[in-house]
Amino acid sequence: MTPEDAPIAMAGVAGDAAKFISNQLADRAESSSHRIRIIGPPAFSFGTVFAGLRGLVQYSDLLYALSFFRLNIRYKQSILGWAWAALQPLALMGIYTFVFAHVAKVNTGGAPYSIFVFAGLLPWIFFSSSITNAVHGIVAYPGLFTKMYFPREIIPLSYLAPAVSDFLIASVILAGMLAYHRIGPTWTLLYGIPILVILGGFATAISLFLAAVHVRFRDVGLVLPFVLQVWMFATPVVYSLQAVPARLRTIYLLDPVAVAIDGFRGAVIYGRAPDARMLAVVGAAMIVCLALAYAYFKSAEATMADVI
Amino acid sequence: MIDLMLDRVYKKYTLRSKDNGPKRWYRGFVKRPVEMWALQNVSFEVKHGEALGIIGHNGAGKTTILKLLSSITAPTHGQITIRGRLAALIEVGSGFHPELTGRENVYLHGAMLGMRRSEIMRKMDGIIDFSGVEKYIDEPVKRYSSGMYVRLGFSVAAHLEPDIVLLDEVLAVGDVAFQTKCLDRISELRKNGGTIVFVSHDLASIYRVCDRAILLDRGRVLTDGPPRVVVDMYQKLAFGDHESLAESQLDPGKAAECLSIAFSGPDPVHAIRTGYPMVARLGYRTATAIPNAIFRISIYWPSGYLCAQLSNESSGFGLTLEPGHGEITFECPVLPIQPGLYRVDLVIESEGREVDSRQHCATLCVEAGKSAMGDFYIENLCSVRRYSH
Repeated sequence: MTPEDAPIAMAGVAGDAAKFISNQLADRAESSSHRIRIIGPPAFSFGTVFAGLRGLVQYSDLLYALSFFRLNIRYKQSILGWAWAALQPLALMGIYTFVFAHVAKVNTGGAPYSIFVFAGLLPWIFFSSSITNAVHGIVAYPGLFTKMYFPREIIPLSYLAPAVSDFLIASVILAGMLAYHRIGPTWTLLYGIPILVILGGFATAISLFLAAVHVRFRDVGLVLPFVLQVWMFATPVVYSLQAVPARLRTIYLLDPVAVAIDGFRGAVIYGRAPDARMLAVVGAAMIVCLALAYAYFKSAEATMADVI
Repeated sequence: MIDLMLDRVYKKYTLRSKDNGPKRWYRGFVKRPVEMWALQNVSFEVKHGEALGIIGHNGAGKTTILKLLSSITAPTHGQITIRGRLAALIEVGSGFHPELTGRENVYLHGAMLGMRRSEIMRKMDGIIDFSGVEKYIDEPVKRYSSGMYVRLGFSVAAHLEPDIVLLDEVLAVGDVAFQTKCLDRISELRKNGGTIVFVSHDLASIYRVCDRAILLDRGRVLTDGPPRVVVDMYQKLAFGDHESLAESQLDPGKAAECLSIAFSGPDPVHAIRTGYPMVARLGYRTATAIPNAIFRISIYWPSGYLCAQLSNESSGFGLTLEPGHGEITFECPVLPIQPGLYRVDLVIESEGREVDSRQHCATLCVEAGKSAMGDFYIENLCSVRRYSH
């Protein structure tokens, strides 16, 4: 019996599917725009960065859809809903204000401590929560990895959207607090945007790198909260950079996150423009880190489905 | 035109097993990697419009090939070239999120398959219409029945406009009606010039759909050729030709065992055909004397339903077997079953108890002979008597 003899019963979904797909195939045969893809062994190279970016553009709609989806389900089935985006930094602000304004005094350069710490907590939470979510998110749906292909970096990248939205919601509170304390907005506020882009870039680079490692070694997810906690206290979030001894300050500024957070607070509260050269150097470092992390992610991506 | 090409592809998996090395204090923590080559030096090409079947035992590397072709994982060595858009119909609907509505899932799933939002929007009505779940499309899919789930997933995948389709037997796991529809769909796709790679254990469907097949064994390509040759080879691998495999299957604990099964036509020249004689020979071995032995050869439709059975029970004589080897022969003067490939199970019973049973151990290939509509050919003598005026 040859396949031509096979009885073809066109019935129900499957039969219609055949008809449908065959029509589509006929259409395509005419247009005939055939892409050729070559799949080889995974390798670490910067060529993968460009190829990866092309793929990312092709799948950009998936990134939008997933980002939207994260926003959509983030506060689902919680009574307070979106208020949580502001509640978490507010609660932390309360604790740190109690400790550092009443128990141990911190020099804030004239601003109320609550505003001072809130302006530092917002970028820090943006940074740390996007990393935490990305690292845990990549292993949340192993079924997706083993059943279908799409550029895997879309999963960690999609967690940037809720971090940004939380930041924006909490910013409204910050704006209200600034207005209450009559700390007028100045044009230096605009520096907040490039600073946040740089911070987001670093968060993405670290997310990509750690997520790729986390797929293989779950130790990353276990040690991450501790590392982020230490990092926060090594960064001028709850205290000011001026409070750091001068000889240590250079070492402090090797940490781009410290530069970004100090710069953000300076621009928002004190109307102080950040050092443009410093910002350019940190921005360039961010791009290099992002490229390295992305190349590493792409080289690890090929076998993620095997080890997840 | 070549649509798919695998060039000396190797795939290594590293399994981590408990350390079996020297005893050290860290022994419990360190797991020694064990290398497992899922594919070794696999090369083949699929021409445009061709339907390639891949068969082999569990663990032969079939799924690995599908995963490589659908980019889920990458080869360790070698290169794969794919021309055109490829759709993997492997576990449709597995990308659905239960909290989202059907419509939202169509967007998400379509995007995961590589469709643009505009493309999905354009096809949305078609996809919903097609799936037959339009009434519930704005309900969360966690409230869907599993059938609706599959239909919606299938519908999205079907609208992908693929040049190459990868099919896993997972698709054919559904109910019998769905399975048949799948096979029909594949045949139709093939007729319209689609390139198909089909992975299955079901030899009948390979036989029916594919015009070429490859046989994988422990990660290597054993045979590449017409399905008939490859399926034959697979059967020999599966159950053994005759004595060769029988030796390895001897189980001292069993009182009796089936050793071989062979079907043949009326003579060495002719194949097994509908409406012609067929002979089935079942080789067996017994360790002890077995009273009142009954042999059964069950013949199953590709769908899994029992089609017919050959048994000495119906002939009315129970056999008393002496220890040793032997062969029981069933002769059918007229084979009533229709052309196709059937699955065969073997059973030996004694005093109502099963002594040995072999499932799916062979296939019976029946070729076109005397033609008749329906499920069976009924041997008949036809005569006409004329009443003259």
